[in-house]
Amino acid sequence: MNIDLEMDRTWKEEFLERVEKDGPWASWEMYELALEAAHHLIVPEFDGLQAPKHLPHVTILPHQLEVARRVVEEMNGKAILADEVGLGKTIEAGLILKEYMIRGLVKKALILVPASLVSQWVRELNEKFFIPAVQQKKSYVWEQCDIVVSSIDTAKKPPHRDIIYEQPYDMIIIDEAHKLKNNKTKNYEFVQNLKKKFCLLLTATPIQNRIEEIFNLVSLLKPGHLGSAEQFANTYGKTRAVQANDHLKALVNKVMIRNRRADTPIEWSKRHVEPVLIEFTDEERELYEAVKALRHASFAGSFSLITLLREACSSREALFLTIKNMIDKCGEAVPEPLERVLEKINAVTTNSKAEKALELIRSINDKVIIFTEYRATQLYLQWFLKQHGISSVPFRGGFRRGKKDWMQELFKHHAQVFIATEAGGEGINLQFCRHVINYDLPWNPMRLEQRIGRVHRLGQTDDVYIYNFAVKQTVEEHILTLLYEKIRLFERVVGELDDILAKMNLTNLEHYLEDAIVHSRSEGEMKIKMENIIAMIELAEQLRREGGQRHAAT
Amino acid sequence: MQQHEIRRFVERYFTANGCALLEAHDDYLTVQLTAEMDKELMNRPFYWHYIERTGGVPQPMQLTLITRANERTDKLKGERLHFGAPRLHQLFRSAQKRGSFIRLYEEPNAPLNGNAALHPWLGMNVVISYECDRKKDEIVSLGIHLISGTIVESFHERLRERRLTPKIPDYCFTISPLIKPRSGIGRLEQYIESRIGADDHTWAEEARRRWADDLALLDEFYKDCEEKPECYYIEKEALEKQYKPRIIVSIVNGGLFYLLPRQP
Repeated sequence: MNIDLEMDRTWKEEFLERVEKDGPWASWEMYELALEAAHHLIVPEFDGLQAPKHLPHVTILPHQLEVARRVVEEMNGKAILADEVGLGKTIEAGLILKEYMIRGLVKKALILVPASLVSQWVRELNEKFFIPAVQQKKSYVWEQCDIVVSSIDTAKKPPHRDIIYEQPYDMIIIDEAHKLKNNKTKNYEFVQNLKKKFCLLLTATPIQNRIEEIFNLVSLLKPGHLGSAEQFANTYGKTRAVQANDHLKALVNKVMIRNRRADTPIEWSKRHVEPVLIEFTDEERELYEAVKALRHASFAGSFSLITLLREACSSREALFLTIKNMIDKCGEAVPEPLERVLEKINAVTTNSKAEKALELIRSINDKVIIFTEYRATQLYLQWFLKQHGISSVPFRGGFRRGKKDWMQELFKHHAQVFIATEAGGEGINLQFCRHVINYDLPWNPMRLEQRIGRVHRLGQTDDVYIYNFAVKQTVEEHILTLLYEKIRLFERVVGELDDILAKMNLTNLEHYLEDAIVHSRSEGEMKIKMENIIAMIELAEQLRREGGQRHAAT
Repeated sequence: MQQHEIRRFVERYFTANGCALLEAHDDYLTVQLTAEMDKELMNRPFYWHYIERTGGVPQPMQLTLITRANERTDKLKGERLHFGAPRLHQLFRSAQKRGSFIRLYEEPNAPLNGNAALHPWLGMNVVISYECDRKKDEIVSLGIHLISGTIVESFHERLRERRLTPKIPDYCFTISPLIKPRSGIGRLEQYIESRIGADDHTWAEEARRRWADDLALLDEFYKDCEEKPECYYIEKEALEKQYKPRIIVSIVNGGLFYLLPRQP
């Protein structure tokens, strides 16, 4: 047979001691109860899941059960869980961890998540899964606690790093694993050197990554699954996206599970999307034109015109910070065009967008989330709303863990408005809110999806309202009409555009747009470039549909 | 485990440990813990330390356990018990701790003509766990006749058919074992080993195949490295932990049983 066999000897010794001392002996009833408990605790089959029996109070959806089953039975406990945003990856991971703990195959587990999510993970594992997870606060926690949740930034630093490497972890779970796409980073190296008996990598956006990034992620989980770096480069080096190569796709799918909203029979609440066009005041318009004129200006130092234009659409405060930086770099002699912009900034007294937001918030008369890309705008908005008697809480990625939780709670119970910058978009759950104002639109559609995913996720029972702000006759209007209306981004199933962009190697949509807007010498040229982009996307979509039919036919 | 089984288990557990049932309904029960059970279950060492040091009158807690949610139990302050509830698993552990070792005598059904000899048996309930990256358990109940060395399976089921008592019944006497308990256990262990040896171990072969596959991938990944980096060895060790098949035999409980010889 040649299989290691361990025989429990402790019972024997204690039994013989009791024979010697003539007791103490258990009652027959206690003896029977002990055996009955054992019958309930054993796992009678290799196959199947035990965890759901232990979690009767948790609603586990069919696709989540199927993920857990596949990871345990087919993937040997090593997988990339890549469901689209809002399908419950945390539940899936908890379910898998619970299953292994019930089977006694996992005793010690390390869960690495973004700092803002640590306490949420701890809470969910304890309350939903009865897994005694502990937040890492002191360095002795690594050794004394079996299930530890920590941020990767803490874990990789000394002295933690070395203590962690000493621990006999049976399972490693990493949330937001797409941050490990670059194999040259410290985080990557840290995870690579962890002992991974079982391992789950959670990410919502694996497909938009470049092919090397997929290679890095898979190689972290299962080195060699996609061959060595050299082999991989030789075989797939010319492939730009995973989707484009069926063989590679099949290989990746052996270690990755991705559910789409469209594939699940869950009834999603509706999304209502409303574009809100805003008219600049004369002063604001003059400011915008002054910034635009910088295109022809020549002075030292490089700058991104597109950034300046977008800031001008957001708030004069946001623009001022950047302009001030540019002026500081110029030294004594401030270039005349910049001087002009500064002048115009001072002339602006109102913010039309903020006025519109105020009007909207008042008419909604319910909780609202405002997303902006700029911190200066965030501060301004908070001040502005306060002037009008509206309470708001700010939220940024840079907040410490405890502060993030606190802000989330404040919004839930005490404030009407939640003002988040981009970094706040990830990993927070705000299902109790159903109105989102995109104060300025991100140019990367995936980032937009992440924003909306904060409120439009499992557990959202009400319809969700999205308001997209754009100022007329500015870059914003171009983006809104061309991208979000012509491509009908908002009406699409989540993840669909993701696929299309990957198929067309258009993953860097932002750059194409920037090129079209900034480097076009005339309105006409810009229009043509934009239309080209749309045409490409439409073509990809058509191919995708035909591809789908072909698959359906075979 | 169904809710009514949980309900039944809990009641039997507390009764067996001498706790009074203050209320016992189909959907919930309230028990008055004894001092001993309070210490075992309620995790308040400081309270007990304080009472013992000051000589205060101990007040063991009451525990309300709800096994079915309905309008009545929703209003109660109590703990909900279901199969995953930490409290139930605590009771499982406690039962296993308190029901590990036993010694019983069989009581004759009918009055005896003269004296009766009770034969010594050693009984053991064991869990055999088959582990690799997957796991399966099996419970086996064995008994060995400490005179002849005969080994039987499903021993516990046989015990259930008999009337057993902790004191030696009147007009009965026990025959001393020819095989000492220590070597009785040894023989049962050998029996278990050969029983496992005769099993179908496809599961282990499959695990080894998965192991070999992943190992081959790993070697391929680092084949161009003259000197393998540390993470190669870490990963290699992790694969062993993940896949290497092993069998673990643990003993749930067992004891000495003095039984009447059965007529064939």
